[in-house]
Amino acid sequence: MPNSSCPMLAVADLAKRYADVGRPLFSGIDFAVAAGEIVALVGESGIGKSTLLNCIAGLETADCGSVHIGPHALDMVRLDEAARAALRARNIGFVFQAFHVLPTLTVAQNIIVPLLLARVPSGEHATRTQALLERVGLAGFADRWPASLSGGELQRVAIARALVHRPALILADEPTGNLDPRTASDVLSLLLERVREQRAGALIVTHSQHVAQCCDRVLTLTANGLA
Amino acid sequence: MNTLAWWLIRAQFRTRRTATLLSMLAIALGVALGYAIHLINDAALADFGRAMKTVQGDPDAVVGARDSAGGVPVATINAIASDPAVLVVAPVIETRVRVNSVRTPVRLIGLDVFSAAAVMPWLLPRQDDRSTTGGILDGDVYASPSLLAKLGLQAGATVTLARGDREWLTKIAGDLPATGPDDLLLVADIAWVQERFGPNEAVGEGRVRLAPEVDLATWRTALQARLPPGLLVRAAEDDRTRVSNLSRAYRVNLNVLALVALLTGAFLVFATQLTAIAQRSTQFALLGVLGLSPRMRLLQVLLEGLAIGIPGAVVGLGLGYALAFAFTQILGGDLGGGYFSGSTPSIVPQPAPLLGFLALGCVASLAGALYPAYLNRVQPLAQALKTGFAQSRAAFSARSRWLLAALLALAAFVLAQMPPLFELPLAGYAAIALVLMIGVSSAPLFTRALFGWLAKRRLPAAQQIAIQNVAQAPLMAQVAASGLIISFALTASMVIMVASFRVAVDHWLDHVLPAPLYLRGKATPLPQELLDALAGTQTPFARIERSAQETLVIDPQRPSVALLVRELERDNPAARLPFTGPVVAPPADMPVVWISEPMHEIYRIAPGQTLRLPLRGHDVEVFVGGVWRDYSRQFGAVAIGRDDFVRLGGRFAPSELALWPLPGQERLASDWLAPWTDRYGLELADSLEIRQLSLSIFDKSFAVTYALEAAAMLIGLFGLAVTLAASVWLRARELATLGALGFDRRMLGRAVMVEGALIALVGLLIGLACGVAIGGILTHVINPQAFHWRMALTIPWPAVIAGALLTLAAAIVASRYAARQATRLPVARVLASAD
Repeated sequence: MPNSSCPMLAVADLAKRYADVGRPLFSGIDFAVAAGEIVALVGESGIGKSTLLNCIAGLETADCGSVHIGPHALDMVRLDEAARAALRARNIGFVFQAFHVLPTLTVAQNIIVPLLLARVPSGEHATRTQALLERVGLAGFADRWPASLSGGELQRVAIARALVHRPALILADEPTGNLDPRTASDVLSLLLERVREQRAGALIVTHSQHVAQCCDRVLTLTANGLA
Repeated sequence: MNTLAWWLIRAQFRTRRTATLLSMLAIALGVALGYAIHLINDAALADFGRAMKTVQGDPDAVVGARDSAGGVPVATINAIASDPAVLVVAPVIETRVRVNSVRTPVRLIGLDVFSAAAVMPWLLPRQDDRSTTGGILDGDVYASPSLLAKLGLQAGATVTLARGDREWLTKIAGDLPATGPDDLLLVADIAWVQERFGPNEAVGEGRVRLAPEVDLATWRTALQARLPPGLLVRAAEDDRTRVSNLSRAYRVNLNVLALVALLTGAFLVFATQLTAIAQRSTQFALLGVLGLSPRMRLLQVLLEGLAIGIPGAVVGLGLGYALAFAFTQILGGDLGGGYFSGSTPSIVPQPAPLLGFLALGCVASLAGALYPAYLNRVQPLAQALKTGFAQSRAAFSARSRWLLAALLALAAFVLAQMPPLFELPLAGYAAIALVLMIGVSSAPLFTRALFGWLAKRRLPAAQQIAIQNVAQAPLMAQVAASGLIISFALTASMVIMVASFRVAVDHWLDHVLPAPLYLRGKATPLPQELLDALAGTQTPFARIERSAQETLVIDPQRPSVALLVRELERDNPAARLPFTGPVVAPPADMPVVWISEPMHEIYRIAPGQTLRLPLRGHDVEVFVGGVWRDYSRQFGAVAIGRDDFVRLGGRFAPSELALWPLPGQERLASDWLAPWTDRYGLELADSLEIRQLSLSIFDKSFAVTYALEAAAMLIGLFGLAVTLAASVWLRARELATLGALGFDRRMLGRAVMVEGALIALVGLLIGLACGVAIGGILTHVINPQAFHWRMALTIPWPAVIAGALLTLAAAIVASRYAARQATRLPVARVLASAD
C-alpha cells in the first residue's frame, strides 16, 4: 500500500517539443496527484494529453522538467530506459482504451505478469490474483482465455492487472472509450473504487465529461499549458 | 521472470506450431548432415587407421621404395638392423594373388615371424590344431578369418594362388586371429613369397622399432641422408597425415554443404522470429510498458530462438547418428568420394564433437533470432502499442547501399583470385558468402528501380496496390526476397557447377576412351601368355595399345602419385592425352613425361621444367612436356612413354589393354578374349559401358546435392509464404480499409498474390545473377583449389530458366496462403479494433 503522506505523482516544469518541427507541444507543466486522489486530464484532440501521459510513464522522454512517482526520489525524466522500465514495473499500473490483454495468456496469467515484473514473491501470486478477480467481479475466470471475454470483462482484467502489484500511480488512457455507456459506467466505478481502496493516485486521460465529473479534480491541457 | 519467459515461449509454440516445427526441422537437418559427415569420416579414418595398423603394425618408422615396383635391398635392411639405435627391423613383402580362381585378388603378406612379433603382432599366424603340415617356415600360408569365411574354406585346405599366368599350390595351415572383420589377408614366410613373387635380394619394406631413448626425427634425417635416393624413411605420423589428406577437401566440401543447410535453418528461424515479433509487437510493447526491460525484450526473442535451436539440434544429433549408421551399413565409410571404400566402420560418438554440434545448432538458431531480437529491443513502445510493428523502410540510403554492394563485389573478386589457404579454398567460400550478401543487400535497390517507375503508371487497382507496396521495399518484402535470393542462388550455382563438370567429364571421356574395348587385370599384371597370343598374327584386332601403372611417393605426407606407362608417341602425345595447354617439345637426349592437372596444381610444376622421379632406386631427371586433364586421379598422375620408361630401367609389365577390333569383327573379338578373362579373372569392358558407368558414378556422387537444392528451394518458398502472411497480418488495417473503400475479397487476395509474385520475381532475378556468379566461383575457384579439377563454365540455360519459372509458379501458389488470409480478414472487426 502506498505511503499516503507524500504525493503519488509530482510533475514539475515538464516540457516536450515536436521532434520534427521543434515547436513546443507543451511546456511548464506542474501538478501533483495525492494518495487516493483521482485526477482527470482533458483537452482537445492532438493537444498532447497522451504524450504527457507517455512522458510521465517514461515511454517518451521529456525535453526538461521532472517526474517523481510515489515516495521515490528517482526522476523519471533523468533515468535510462532500463531504469524507467524498472520504475514502471514497481510503481505504475496501466489501463488502456484498447484493453491490451495478452491473448496468449490466461486471465490469471495476465494478472500475474506485473507481479513477475515487480518481483513479488511467487507465494503471493495466487492469493493476490484470486482476491482481485473477485473484487473486479471475475471470480471463476482465472483459466479463461481473453478471446472468450467481452469488452467489459477484458477491461476488468486490465484493471485487476493495473492494481495487482499495488502501484503508487495508475495511468489510464481513455479507459472507457471502447465500451458501451452502461459497461463504461460499471468499469469506471470499479476502477475509481479500487484505486481509492488501495490509496493509489490516478491520472485519467479522457474526452468524456462523465468520466471527468467522477474524478476528484480535472486538469485541462491547452496550448498555453495546464489549466 | 523465468515464469514469464516460459509462458511466452509456450504461447509462441502453441500459436505458431507449423512455422516453429519447420524451423526446428531445418536446424535438425543442418546439424544431422554435419554430424553424420563427421561421424562417418571419423569412423572411416579410425577404421582405416586400425586396418593399416593391423597390416603395418606399430613401427616407429618404415623404410620403403618411392616407386611401387621398387624394393629395399636386403643389404640395406641388414645395415639398418645393425644400427645401435634400432631395436628390430621387420622386413615385409606384399603382393596380390588370386585364390582358387576367385576374380578379386587378395593381399599376400610375406613376413619374418620372429621380427614381426615385435612390430606387427596383429599379423602373427595361429597354427590350426587339425593342420598336419609343418607351419609357416615350411611354406604354408595363413588366412584371416574373414577371408576364410568369404572363400568358404577351413584350415588344412589346399588352395591355388595365382598371379599373372603363374600358379602355386599351397596349404592353409591356420588363421590370423588378431585381424579385423574387413581384413581379407594371407600371410606367409617372407622367403617363400620372395622366391615365388620376387623381388630377389630385396624386400618391399623394412618396418623399424627404435630404442626408447632415440629421437625419431634426428635418426630419420640421418638415415635418409645415408639411403639411396629411391628409398624413403616414413614416420608413422606421415601415414596418419596422408590418410587424413586423402579425403580432406571432399570432407570440407561436404561440411560446407552441411553448413549451408544449417544456414538455411538459421534463415528459417530468422523469418519465423521476425514474423513472430512483428505479430506480437503490440504484446511486447505492452510488456515493455508494464516494466519488461529492453534487455529482457531482446533476451526473450533470443530465448525463443534457443527454444527452437536446442530441440532442433538434439533431434539433429539423433538423426545424424542414425544417418551415419545407415550410411556405413549400406555404403561403408566411403562418404561417396571413393576414398575409404570396402569397409564398414563402427560409429562411436565422442562427447566433444557431440557437444560441439549441439552448440552449432544453438548458435545457428541464435544467429537467426539476433536481428528480430534487436528489432524487438528498439521498437518504440508507445508507437508499437498504438499502431503495431514499425517496418523500417530505409535503414540505409540508396547511395550507401550501392557503395556497399560495390565494395562487397570488389572484396568478392579479390577473394576469388586468392590462392588456397591451408590447401583449402577458404577464400573462395568467403567470396560465395559475399556474393550472397551483395544479393541480399542490393535487393531493395533493385526492387525500387524495377517497380518504382511502374508504380507511377495507371494500372488496375489490385495490381497498383501490390506494386506500390513492393516498390517501397518494406522489411517483410526484403526478408521474403532474401530467402528466395539465397535459396535460388545456391540451387542455380550447384546446377551450373554440376552441369559444367558433367560436360567436362563427358568431353574428357571422349578423349581418354579412344578404343572400343578395354581389358585389364585386377591389381595384377596381364598374363604373358595372353600378351604373346595378342602379338601373333591370328587375332581379330587391328590395333592394341598396352599400358601399365605404378605408384610413386613424391611427398610422404601426400597420397601417392600414379605413374602411367603407355605406348605414347614422344612427338605426338596429344593423340592420346587431353592436354590443357601447349605441348613443349623435349630435348632430344632427355626422357619426357606429361603430368596431370592435379599434379601440376599440387606440386606446382609447369611444362618446360624438369622433374626428379624416383624410379628403380634412383632419382631420374625427366622433362615435363605438358599438362593433361585428368578427372580420375585427384592426387596426381605422370604419364611416360614405354620406350623412355624402359630406357630408365623400368620393366614394362602391361596391366591394361586398349583394343581396336578389326572392322566387322567386334563380336569375334569379344569371343576371342572370353577364355582369357575367365581363366585369369580379367575385366573386359567396352568404352560405352565404361562411359555409362563413369557418368552414373558421377551422377550418384552429386545426388545428395539435388536433395539439398530441393530442401533449399522449399525453405525459400516457405519463407516467402510465412513473411507474406505476416505482412498481411501487419497490414490488416490497411487492407481492411481498402475493403471498406470497395475492394472485394477477390481483389484483396489478388493484390497479395501479385505482391508475392513480384517479390518472387525480384528474388529469382537477383538469385539467378548471384547463382551464375557463385557457379563461376565453384567451377573456377572451389573445384580447382579443393580437387585440382579445372573445367569450362557451362550454364544450362534451359534448366536454370525452367527452374526459375517453376519456382515462380510455386511462389505464386505459396502466396495463395497469404492471399487467403487477406480474403478472410474480418474487415469490420479490424477497422473497429484499435489493436
